[in-house]
This record gives sequence, structure tokens and C-alpha cells, in this order.
Amino acid sequence: MNNRHVMEEQELLDLLKDYPVPEAEAGFYDRALVRAVHKGSRRQRNRWMLTGFGSAIAAGLAIWAISAMLMTAPQLPDAAPTIPGVTIAMEQEHTVRLVFASAEALDSATLTVSLPEGIELAGFPGQREITWETSLQEGKNLLPLTLIALTPAGGELLARLEHDDRNRTFRLRVDVT
Amino acid sequence: MTDPHQTEVFERLVRPHFDRLYRLAWRLAGSKPEAEDLFQELLIKAFGMLDELVHIEEPGSWLCRVMYNQFVDQHRRLARQRMHLVDEGHLPGQGLADLAGDLDPVDDRERLEKFRRLDAALQQLSDEHRLVVLLHDTEGYKLDEIESMTGTPVGTIKSRLHRARARLRQILDEDGTIS
Repeated sequence: MNNRHVMEEQELLDLLKDYPVPEAEAGFYDRALVRAVHKGSRRQRNRWMLTGFGSAIAAGLAIWAISAMLMTAPQLPDAAPTIPGVTIAMEQEHTVRLVFASAEALDSATLTVSLPEGIELAGFPGQREITWETSLQEGKNLLPLTLIALTPAGGELLARLEHDDRNRTFRLRVDVT
Repeated sequence: MTDPHQTEVFERLVRPHFDRLYRLAWRLAGSKPEAEDLFQELLIKAFGMLDELVHIEEPGSWLCRVMYNQFVDQHRRLARQRMHLVDEGHLPGQGLADLAGDLDPVDDRERLEKFRRLDAALQQLSDEHRLVVLLHDTEGYKLDEIESMTGTPVGTIKSRLHRARARLRQILDEDGTIS
């Protein structure tokens, strides 16, 4: 390795060493701890119930377990204030893909997409707000949205996911060229 | 009802490691909502394994390993679902915006710009290469700690580290971030 490489390597290592991570929001650790104790206890109870009752009433039990889980589910915090953005061309279809990470499978969640003026969702001409029911799998769920810009104004697209008393709003800045 | 003593024991074991675990979640997931979900799922799982946790000598390392495995499992599930991470899932510098509030006008903005470029360069690495460079060079994990966490042999980790740094040097040299 020559001198230049050595200097570059050192500069890179200094940069990596200082590469920051935002701190957790105030109160996040406490909230996470409370949820963990509630949900962890429930999982322990569910495991005991499943062991005790066996498979004969497995279907009924599964419904009970899910219902119990949802009834006591805590409020999730809203997404980060950081707003990602995309740039789309006028009057051309452009597909953006939103990723929803869910800690558990959710049936009958409600998804509402609110569009800025001058942006339409393909297949829904003239509608600024589109709502539908959907199911989420545990893990990451991909939602492709095909957008069309009718004016150059752009704006903010909101995707609000609701399930029982929980909700999370995702924001996407849409610029038009 | 949850036993208050159980809750107290759990908190005493895990709370000292919260900052480290949150940072790890961020490095693995790359965005705030996913980092928070990963952190939360880890705590839920760990509470369910409290009987095991109380006997572990180094709970911090154990928790890091469990979090890493959770992250990998989540990605495997994602692959099985034939879904893939997309551009909008992580944007370069996404997390850095949270830090931009109280910066001095010139120096810190230049630093922030450098970090944005570093972040963009890191996104060009493979998952394995990005992870090893972040764990070792940014978070300061030792090679044997990374081996224990990921189950990857030290030799492979060293090789990945070497390649990851070389690629980062190349990208950041080309865009003038380092010279």
C-alpha cells in the first residue's frame, strides 16, 4: 500500500469512526420496556395455553390468542419526521414502492393514501384520498403505488396504516420535473 | 398479571445495554422505524427467555447475537415472500437528517455532507460487507465479537473488511470526499 492509500485509509477510518447514529427518542426505551413485559408475558401465557390444550381446538385457540393480542396492543409511535422523496416526470407513470415493516401479521388493516393536488394514483383518476383494507404479513410488506403528475406543483404523499388503536403515517415528498 | 419482581430483574439485566443495542439496530436496519421495531422485538423475545437470560454471563453480547439473528431471519422471510428492498426503503443520509438541527453553519454542514456521501457509498456495498465495516470500524466491535454474533469465521470477516474498505476508498476518492 503506498502513502496515498495509507492516508486515504486513515481518512476513511476516521470518517467511519465518527459516522453518527441518531439517539433514541426520549421515552422510547421506557415504552419499549413496558411493551416487552406486556407482550412477552402474553406470549409466555399463550405458549402455556397451547401446550395445555393440545391441537384439538387449535383453530379456536389461535383466534383467541390473536384477539387477545390485538385488544391490548399498545399505540405505536409515528414514523420518523425525516421525509424521503422521489422525483417524477410530468404525465408519466412512475411506480414508487413503500415498505411497511410489521412486527406481526395483521388482518384487516386499513390503508389510506392521501395525494397532493395534481398527483394521481393510476386507476383512481380525480381521487385525492384512497382507502382500502389489506392484510400485512409479519416482516416487510411491499406496496407499489403508480403515480402520475398532472401539474408541476408536487407535494407530500401520506400513507396511513391503521389497525385497531394503532396507526402509523408514512410521508413521501413528491417533486415533479 | 406480570410478576413485578420479574420485570425488575429483566430491566436490571437489559437496560445497561440499551444504547448499544439501539445503535446496533440502526446499523442493521438503516432506518428509524425498522430499528425501533427490531429493538422492540428483541426485548419481547428476551423477556420471554428471562429464565435463560438470568444465567448468561454476558447478557450484552447475548442480546446482540439474538438481535442479529432476528434481523437475518426477517430478511430470509422477506426473500421467501419474493419481496425485495427498494430504493425508497432506505435513502442515503436518511438518518442523518435527525442530527442536522443544531449544526454550526459551515464546518458541521461540511461534515454532514461527508457523512451523507459515506452513507451513499455504504449503500453500494453488499449487506455482508456493509455490516462488517459498520460493526468493526464504526461501532468498534472486535473481530471475535463479530464472529460470535454472526457465526462468520474471523478469516472471512477480515477478508470482507478489507474488500469493503477498498471499495469505500475507491468510491469516496472518486467523489472527492477523501483525497
